[in-house]
Amino acid sequence: MNGLETRRRSTKAILGVMLAVILVLYGFPFVYLLLTSFKTPSEAIAVPPSVMPNVWTLENYVAALAKEGVVPALINSVVTAVLSTLFSLVLAVPAAYAVTRYRTPSGRVFVLAALVTRMVPTIAIGAPLVETMRAMGIGDTSFALAIAHTTISLPLSIWLMASFFEAVPDEIEEAAKMDGASRLGALWRVVLPVVSGGLAVTAIFAFLASWNEFLFALLLTSVRAQTTPIVIANFQTQFGLDWGAMTALAAVYSLPVILLTLVLQRHIVAGLTLGAVKG
Amino acid sequence: MAPAALFLAAFVLWPLIRFVWNAFYDISPIAGGPRAYVGLQNFIDAFASASFQGASLRTVVYTLVVVALEFAAGLVVALIFAALGRRSTVFRTIFMYPLMIAPVVAGLLWRFLLIDNFGIVNELLVRAGVLDNPSQVGWLSDPAIALFAVALPDIWLTTSFITLVLFAGLQTIPGEILEAARIDGARFPTMLFRVIIPLLRPVIAVALIVRGIDAARAFDIILIQTNGGPQESTTTLSLLIYRTMTRYGDIGLASAMGTIYLIGMLLVAAVAVTAIWRPGEAR
Repeated sequence: MNGLETRRRSTKAILGVMLAVILVLYGFPFVYLLLTSFKTPSEAIAVPPSVMPNVWTLENYVAALAKEGVVPALINSVVTAVLSTLFSLVLAVPAAYAVTRYRTPSGRVFVLAALVTRMVPTIAIGAPLVETMRAMGIGDTSFALAIAHTTISLPLSIWLMASFFEAVPDEIEEAAKMDGASRLGALWRVVLPVVSGGLAVTAIFAFLASWNEFLFALLLTSVRAQTTPIVIANFQTQFGLDWGAMTALAAVYSLPVILLTLVLQRHIVAGLTLGAVKG
Repeated sequence: MAPAALFLAAFVLWPLIRFVWNAFYDISPIAGGPRAYVGLQNFIDAFASASFQGASLRTVVYTLVVVALEFAAGLVVALIFAALGRRSTVFRTIFMYPLMIAPVVAGLLWRFLLIDNFGIVNELLVRAGVLDNPSQVGWLSDPAIALFAVALPDIWLTTSFITLVLFAGLQTIPGEILEAARIDGARFPTMLFRVIIPLLRPVIAVALIVRGIDAARAFDIILIQTNGGPQESTTTLSLLIYRTMTRYGDIGLASAMGTIYLIGMLLVAAVAVTAIWRPGEAR
């Protein structure tokens, strides 16, 4: 057990209370968003506001989903995020494998690239990317946006996958090769199944990076490929301040990923902390 | 490895080179319009512009506020988790959820909470007797405090990241070390500052560097709350660069600002890495 753990009951009780207070403060904003989404549109902006809805209704959800462009945007978000996740995995797995197995110094370059890519303001590569995508004839498509989103997730994906491959003992592969498997065959049939948990974590992060991304989506899409974050942001200008519908769409968009996290909690914590703690 | 490297070269490095290259030109906002080489003029204009100086200062303040508060709150919660031991599992799960929420959603949500007339925060403050009436504090409309108010959703969104990283780091500290310190009669503050924080230094460094980089380029979360206002009081560099490029169409100047920003980030990160992370040092 960890040495920090306290053994005194009274201390533990105080800590528990502190934690409960923090959690209420922390959880309240989203709970309030959910509660508001079930109010009527006029109650959502009533003065003074109340925490609980007077009347529970799905009006905001119906209104939000009926708005022009909302359903296509939800579909676009899914398509873009799935494509970007695939691109990220297809590119990251061989790269991470090469970095760990051949132990080249370029592994360090990738980690460095991950850090530097993170420092680049999105706008700096976003604007030139718009021209590139147009020149390639894929302006305003989910495909182009998925490529842009992959620039965000790829460095992290390589970093994560490399840490997972490192944990696989060389002997497993050696044994597969003794049995006549090629290097690629060994990777495909023996190593990948072993790191399937790691693949899942990497996929979740790539998916989330795309799902929640805003600026690339703003720059690279106009009508056809627009994703939900852009549509949510437009609720405030295009339709006046439609807070009720905004909270409903925000809930529809956030709940699936929040539930996903609760289910896959352990994997995600591993992914978040892996790079940092290993250093 | 080659495909990934090619991909990053084509879609990160090449656009970035073009971006930096643009900083040396005066570019007509019309697509395909004329461009003229102007040397360092855009950089000179950027440094001389009051909005650039203001935005730089605001970016620094915003980043420091976000990182400092996240670190303080993150460390406290991580220590509570560690003290509770295995019983903290449920809390850790709940604590993680904001990380999954889109910054746009977080920004809008907090704008909704902080709005002066029908916002719940001021209403609750009135009910608690802190404020006399809900319009007393205009979180996002008072230029004096708006920069701090827009930082709230960012802090809410990502403190969990620091907590989780620090918590994972705390798990790696051998119990014997803490036990030894305790036997030597060290009280908790001493343990925290003399034992725990020094041992966690590499982990703290990674957490702070990653969050610092992200906070310094925060864009959508601010855009959605205030659009840089009121009176430019929340216009950070990323918003200024975006506006210079899209609204004023001055691609050359925007590129120069972006290039200065990037160089600044690299310098600060390099200092941070060598000063607090010290990778390669035995640990």
